[in-house]
Amino acid sequence: MQLKDQFRFVRQNMKKNKTRVFMTILATAMGCAFLIVLASVGFGLQKSVVKEMTEQRVITQIDVHGKEIADQGGFRPVSEKDIQIFEKLKDVKAVTRRKMLQQEGNFSIGNYQEPAQTVVANFPSEVKAGLELSAGRLPKGEDEVVVGYNFPLNLAIKDAPDDRYDDKGQLKAEYRYTGKLIGEKLEITVRQLKDGKQEEKTIPLTVVGISKKPTREWAEDRSVFISDTILTEIENFTGTPKGYLLDPNSEVPKDQDIHENSFDEVKIYARNMEAVQGISDQLKDMNYATYSVVNELKEVNMIFMIAKAGLIFIGTIAILIASIGIYNTMTMAVTERAPDIGIMKAIGANPKTIKRIFLLESSYIGLIGALIGTLVSYGISYAVNFAIPLIIKQAFGKETEINIIFSDIPFILPVICIVICYGVTIISGYRPAQRATRVDVLKAMRREV
Amino acid sequence: MITVKKLSHDFVIGKKGRQTIIPILRDISFSVEKGEIVTIVGRSGSGKSTLLNLVSGFIHPKEGEIWISGEKVSNLNEAKFADFRIHNLGFIFQSFQLIPSMTAFQNVELPLILKGINEGERRKQTEEMLKKVGLLDYQDHYPGELSGGQQQRVSIARALIVNPPIILADEPTGSLDSETEEDLLKFIKELNRDLGITFLIITHDDKVAEIGHRTIELRDGRIFEEVRLVCN
Ligand SMILES: Nc1ncnc2c1ncn2[C@@H]1O[C@H](COP(=O)(O)OP(=O)(O)OP(=O)(O)O)[C@@H](O)[C@H]1O
Ligand SMILES: [Mg+2]
Repeated sequence: MQLKDQFRFVRQNMKKNKTRVFMTILATAMGCAFLIVLASVGFGLQKSVVKEMTEQRVITQIDVHGKEIADQGGFRPVSEKDIQIFEKLKDVKAVTRRKMLQQEGNFSIGNYQEPAQTVVANFPSEVKAGLELSAGRLPKGEDEVVVGYNFPLNLAIKDAPDDRYDDKGQLKAEYRYTGKLIGEKLEITVRQLKDGKQEEKTIPLTVVGISKKPTREWAEDRSVFISDTILTEIENFTGTPKGYLLDPNSEVPKDQDIHENSFDEVKIYARNMEAVQGISDQLKDMNYATYSVVNELKEVNMIFMIAKAGLIFIGTIAILIASIGIYNTMTMAVTERAPDIGIMKAIGANPKTIKRIFLLESSYIGLIGALIGTLVSYGISYAVNFAIPLIIKQAFGKETEINIIFSDIPFILPVICIVICYGVTIISGYRPAQRATRVDVLKAMRREV
Repeated sequence: MITVKKLSHDFVIGKKGRQTIIPILRDISFSVEKGEIVTIVGRSGSGKSTLLNLVSGFIHPKEGEIWISGEKVSNLNEAKFADFRIHNLGFIFQSFQLIPSMTAFQNVELPLILKGINEGERRKQTEEMLKKVGLLDYQDHYPGELSGGQQQRVSIARALIVNPPIILADEPTGSLDSETEEDLLKFIKELNRDLGITFLIITHDDKVAEIGHRTIELRDGRIFEEVRLVCN
């Protein structure tokens, strides 16, 4: 018997009891939609979390926090020597290392001022890691500095009122510094407590460059890059490493010298995402404390994997319940059609053919159900993503800042669902189909008389 | 063409532990030659239908052998017998055994579908066959919309469509009036004469028995006598 004819048979048979077949398909579709929608929440949240994680950080970036000191269990900061080791590792593109001034430097140009983070960076490695300037050049002289893209945007007039920021948190244009910056004198003022009295020191600098706008919408770069020499000058004034501010209420920390000649922020950039794992593993073997999104992603993905498997499992139960309907429908179909089956067998229909026709019929029901379920679940998923932010807005009365995808249906999900549904259908359709082959010709023909 | 050797059969009835064995056929041996019409007669309950069902493969014999067209069919399994049936045997039943949800055309076409013939070829052959039995105009009628005689002609068309060398018939005229019966018998004779189809027909009707070249009478599960009819 040709497959085409088997399909025609199945369609004809299904037409004989449309309502029953429809209800069975409906139940299957509901089961499938339930599975997909349920699992789509897992997929959606995972996507949101991963997006959040990868958006905030460069994916090829590995942070090195320090090195474990043998036996003691503590960590020491990364030193120049460590950097040399890192740079020799395979697939390392750049190792940026920054020293941070341990107090907020107060910068001023004429009548404008702005407190900002002050950083000593290694420019060749920063450039390799992707630092670009939007204007000017990299510093050459010791008093030359590069400022972050957002630095000039926050340079405010000294007597600006408290409401100097607009509702987006940006400095209002009327208070903003509008003059040119490159080549201008910029003064940094640092403080220190000396013999219980606050003392200040001002060092003149020259702006030579402005970094490029950060690629991420929300990121703000307001730091000022100074040279090592200037940092030393500041250290000489404060008497502490990296300009550490002494607190009048507490003791001078004894171990502050460990910060000397070490880096506060060390980032290794791998050549590509695939290399990150290898580099992290090597660093781990050498007892460095590292962090990379890839590592964290792996863990997050693992957790979501388990969660999704759980959700799919629960969804499968719904399909299993629907399969009872398929079993029932098919059993009734076989019972009803026993006389026809008997006649077909008498003429010479092979039991295998009969079995195949019934299996085909149950898979037909299962697959149509799965397809309808898939379509419906796309609709539900869309509706959920549309409605939940609205509901949250209603409930909390404000725009949701968090951009969460509640439900996401990647291509694999319907595929998984259809495979599960098909499998379940075959299993539940198997017994009725088997029964159809065992219909006794004589009994079936006698019944018809 | 058909050879039955020392065939015995009995039915077991009742539940386990309280079973009764009812012997139906005892030591039946006969053969049907190619191109012959053989009729089997006997009283009701003498085991005629049982014998035909054994030859058709609808039930398995307890003892003995059945050979059809040179093949020992008595120990074929169900699937193999099905394949054998569709290529070698045509059936005519007393109660026609048409599928009620299929039109006359579809009923006649069914064996061709089972054989895996292409749709175009099927249509041609089916129409030809319906014409032959004079029912081309009724091809879209469902069995319920046909008279008994017409239904029987549909079932004959269905039996003939695969060109079987042998046709087995269990009381083919049992549900027909005498006039229709005569038409049918004439048709059977024609088929036998023109196409050389071998017939094994069960009946308790003398008129039917008369068309056979030979008549075998069953009595109490045994062959009582075999009569060769001179006129045929
Ligand atoms: N499946 C069965 N189980 C038990 N006994 C059966 C079965 N089929 C038939 N019999 C018995 O076998 C005997 C022969 O039946 P069979 O149908 O072969 O008779 P028959 O000669 O065809 O009769 P009729 O002329 O009335 O059709 C009967 O006594 C019947 O009761
Ligand atoms: Mg009978």
